[in-house]
Amino acid sequence: MPVITLQQERFIKFVKRQLTVEDMTKWLPWLGFDIEEIGSDYVKVEFNPNRVDFCSYAGVARAFRGLMGWESGLPRYKVKGGKTVLKIDKNVTKIRSYMLAAVVRNIKLDEESIVDLMEIQEDLHWGIGRNRKKASIGVHNMDVIEPPFTFTAAEPDKARFVPLDRTDEMSLREILEKHDKGVAFRHLVDWAPRYPLLIDKNGQVLSMPPIINGELTRITSKTTNLFLDVTGTDYLAVEKSLNILATALADMGGRIEKVHVKYPNRTVDSPDLMPQKMKLRINYANELLGLKLSESQVVESLRKCRLDVKTLRNGIVEVAIPAYRIDVLHEVDLVEEVAIGYGYYRLKPTIPETLTIGEQHPAQRTANVVRQIMTGLDFTEVMNFTLINEVFHYEKMRLKARKTIKLANPVSAEYTILRESLLPGLMKNLMENKHESFPQRLFEVSDVGRINQRVETRCERRLHVAGVSSHSTASFTEIKSTIEALLHNMGLKRWEIKPTTHSSFIEGREAAVYLKHKEIGVLGEIHPEVLNNFELENPTCAFEIDIEEIS
Amino acid sequence: MVYLREHEQKTLFALQRLKGRARVAQIIETSGLAHAAVMRAALTLVESKLVTLHEQRQTIVTLTQEGKLYAEKGLPERGTLEMTYRRGGEIPISDIPHEVDISPGAIPVALAWLTRKHWATINREKGTIAVAQEEKPPLGDDERLLRILAKKGSAIVQEFDKSLQRAAITLKRRKLARMREKTLQEMELTDTGWQVVKKGLRFVSEISQLTPELIVSGKWREVKLRKFDVTVAGPETYPAKVHPLQQAIQRAREIFLEMGFTEIRGPLVETAFWNFDALFQPQDHPAREMMDTFYLLNPKAGGLPKKSVVEAVAKTHENGWITGSKGWGYKWSPEEAKRLVMRTHTTAETIKYLSEHKKPPIKVFSVDRVYRNEQVTYKNTAEFHQIEGIVVGKGVTLRDLMGTLKTFYARFGLKKVKFWPCYFPYTEPSAEATVYVPKLKRWIELCGMGMFRPEVLAPMRIKYPVLAWGGGLERLAMLELGLDDIRLLYGNRLSWIRRTPICQ
Repeated sequence: MPVITLQQERFIKFVKRQLTVEDMTKWLPWLGFDIEEIGSDYVKVEFNPNRVDFCSYAGVARAFRGLMGWESGLPRYKVKGGKTVLKIDKNVTKIRSYMLAAVVRNIKLDEESIVDLMEIQEDLHWGIGRNRKKASIGVHNMDVIEPPFTFTAAEPDKARFVPLDRTDEMSLREILEKHDKGVAFRHLVDWAPRYPLLIDKNGQVLSMPPIINGELTRITSKTTNLFLDVTGTDYLAVEKSLNILATALADMGGRIEKVHVKYPNRTVDSPDLMPQKMKLRINYANELLGLKLSESQVVESLRKCRLDVKTLRNGIVEVAIPAYRIDVLHEVDLVEEVAIGYGYYRLKPTIPETLTIGEQHPAQRTANVVRQIMTGLDFTEVMNFTLINEVFHYEKMRLKARKTIKLANPVSAEYTILRESLLPGLMKNLMENKHESFPQRLFEVSDVGRINQRVETRCERRLHVAGVSSHSTASFTEIKSTIEALLHNMGLKRWEIKPTTHSSFIEGREAAVYLKHKEIGVLGEIHPEVLNNFELENPTCAFEIDIEEIS
Repeated sequence: MVYLREHEQKTLFALQRLKGRARVAQIIETSGLAHAAVMRAALTLVESKLVTLHEQRQTIVTLTQEGKLYAEKGLPERGTLEMTYRRGGEIPISDIPHEVDISPGAIPVALAWLTRKHWATINREKGTIAVAQEEKPPLGDDERLLRILAKKGSAIVQEFDKSLQRAAITLKRRKLARMREKTLQEMELTDTGWQVVKKGLRFVSEISQLTPELIVSGKWREVKLRKFDVTVAGPETYPAKVHPLQQAIQRAREIFLEMGFTEIRGPLVETAFWNFDALFQPQDHPAREMMDTFYLLNPKAGGLPKKSVVEAVAKTHENGWITGSKGWGYKWSPEEAKRLVMRTHTTAETIKYLSEHKKPPIKVFSVDRVYRNEQVTYKNTAEFHQIEGIVVGKGVTLRDLMGTLKTFYARFGLKKVKFWPCYFPYTEPSAEATVYVPKLKRWIELCGMGMFRPEVLAPMRIKYPVLAWGGGLERLAMLELGLDDIRLLYGNRLSWIRRTPICQ
């Protein structure tokens, strides 16, 4: 989840009011922020990925001013007419389909705001750009370049420029091979015969989007005019990224100026900060929230969220949503805005009038019966993870590894497969308790997995119960008595116990359990090699049965 | 009638055999009783005036390392004196180190004792020592004692004559011996005690264990059952029990059932379709990785539900379909939806259930396992239990959701709840709840909630509002059990399970 650290002093400048850290800590959560850390002069907050516009001080401040009632309705951003032209060559649209741009004039930058700018770009790359694939941003010093600009596809070995953080010219191919940003993002362009290049009127290179800017247009605290470019494979992502960046810069004091973006078959004036319009039914909002707000109350709440509202006809309003919002997809999103503007703290909980009769799932009921019986037989319950690894599940149990449900991206070597059996876990429990007093009788009633190609998920979940008894005189007889008591008390009839072979058990002391002629489990005395593998010193008897069908 | 317990009898008889007076150690040996038994007997026997207890102080003396050395070589002043006699009765002090086998540090000591013992005199001007007596002085008490102790190892000072006793103190001061105090206890039969023992007064024995034989034969009437000290703690014993985490699960289940919810249960492995797509989580968005997911290597992919449902979901993602939403605006891939994952939330099972049961009112729940691709730390595990509750009803509202949740957590003893704006890709409006935990004296985040988005409901043809909330169970369990490390819950240490009470 993305975070932003709000220094009190700087936040005050944006919010244009005096604020204490307590004020910030108190009110930010009502906008949906999670307080991560409170310092003496800062608050670090986490924001949700649907509000990427909170990635800048400006973004947080405009929402804050709205909630506090210091400013309401749509923030207005003037986009001045400009003469800057950006031409998009046909050959580059196959590699990087879209580009939009904007000019920002008269911006005062200091060290803090440059850091801000970098963080905004990073958050946008993560939140919208999908790691630069869908959208990627470049910010340039406008004063060292001359429009019109051209976005074209250039030859990897011929085109050269000095990339950021270097002193010598490199070819485009060399940048992909040697520059760290080139190496990190080359997969976005290196499949193409030519690479994207952004140049100005005189052939000077601004950047190779989405890889790296040139040193030429580097931003410093002396820069006063900016050229913003956003390229990507998704038009909406490109547009929103530019909107969020441009509006943040406008709130930082800059003046936005249009760029005419000339695609092969159309021209787009960018940025387009026109608000999105969506209808909201007052009744719908009240229905979902459980309130009886009047239209003016709804309007007031929406305006607190920096939305503009126009009455259409009885009970329906048209809401104008600022260009930096990416999260308003449906009328229901406006209902949440009403709740936020109204104040979640004002919503009094109610109990719905629904009459329903509850019911347990049969598997859980069965599991609880098993718990009752097993604890009655002096077995203590353990709870293990369902994820385990092949060494414990097969090797240590003297079993041949089978093709089983396996993870593609395990978090550690300890948990790589989904267990097919509970016994390895129980053996592990005995191993970890070998210094405790004996006898040790443990059981687990829980799920295992099994591959089954006939179900939608190709894996099925099965309820098993397994038990182990470990002490100096543990024997087959004991576990046979146990399992017979279990089956009998579960109300089962017609079960049989017959000899079988199972490598985890001692030869001649292993048996299978059949219910209505179907094998449902095994029991036996654990083989000494297995006991050695688990570092156990006492004989141990064990059983495991599948009770999925029984339940 | 004198009532004596078994150990008291044995003690008395032992004393008799030892002629009426003996040390405790001797009584232990003769009677075969343990020390504690004899001491217990002593208390009651003294009270009944059958025995008197004498305490004797003993001082044990042993040699120190240096003492042992001088026991072997002789005291430094003796060695020096011998040498002086051999050299005619007078030697220069400076010659001592060369002629006498003593360390240089011992020389001043030797000189001091020579003077003290009147064995020799020191002439400072001439720098010599000269013997004071014509005849060599005999072995002093201290030297005798050194030899005795070297031979015997230790001795009891009180057993010495006065001169040896004084010598012991001297040796101690010279740090050649050390002394240790010991208290000896002796028991002596009184006259009454002798009578009891000699006359063999009839006594009734007390026993501790009632046996079947005594019960059946009627002999229980002839014996006295010993009184027990009922205040002494019994040996620790543990019931076999349900795992403490399972107790918490059962508690949560009970509360749901009491509130009229029906339990559902779905597979642990899910298709991405139900885990993500049906819940309007786009296939290509950080929200999908907000929860880090375990994907399966084998099997890799599963199937999809019926075509109409799949198409509806696909269109909703792409352009909102008939929901009135803008959708996510990307090309939806069925291949991506078929991928298999360890389910990251039980909401996948919920939406599957609701797609097949649509008529309200519906209240379903589950307390079941989910998986997140996270390192195991003190507060996270890769698998844990999620509590999930769903209410479907005509006209249910966000406030109803808050109320239901409040009721649920109140049953856990968490009565103060606050609701905050939040975000989930499949609910709108959403909220998260923090509860006040009296034990910790602070507010902690406990669960998320919301109303399913139209983009989730429409493809499943669910026509009524759906309230949903979910949170981790382990968190609640840890609050109840007073734990701050989640790994304890799954460590299955018997020392913890055995000692954790079933009721908190």
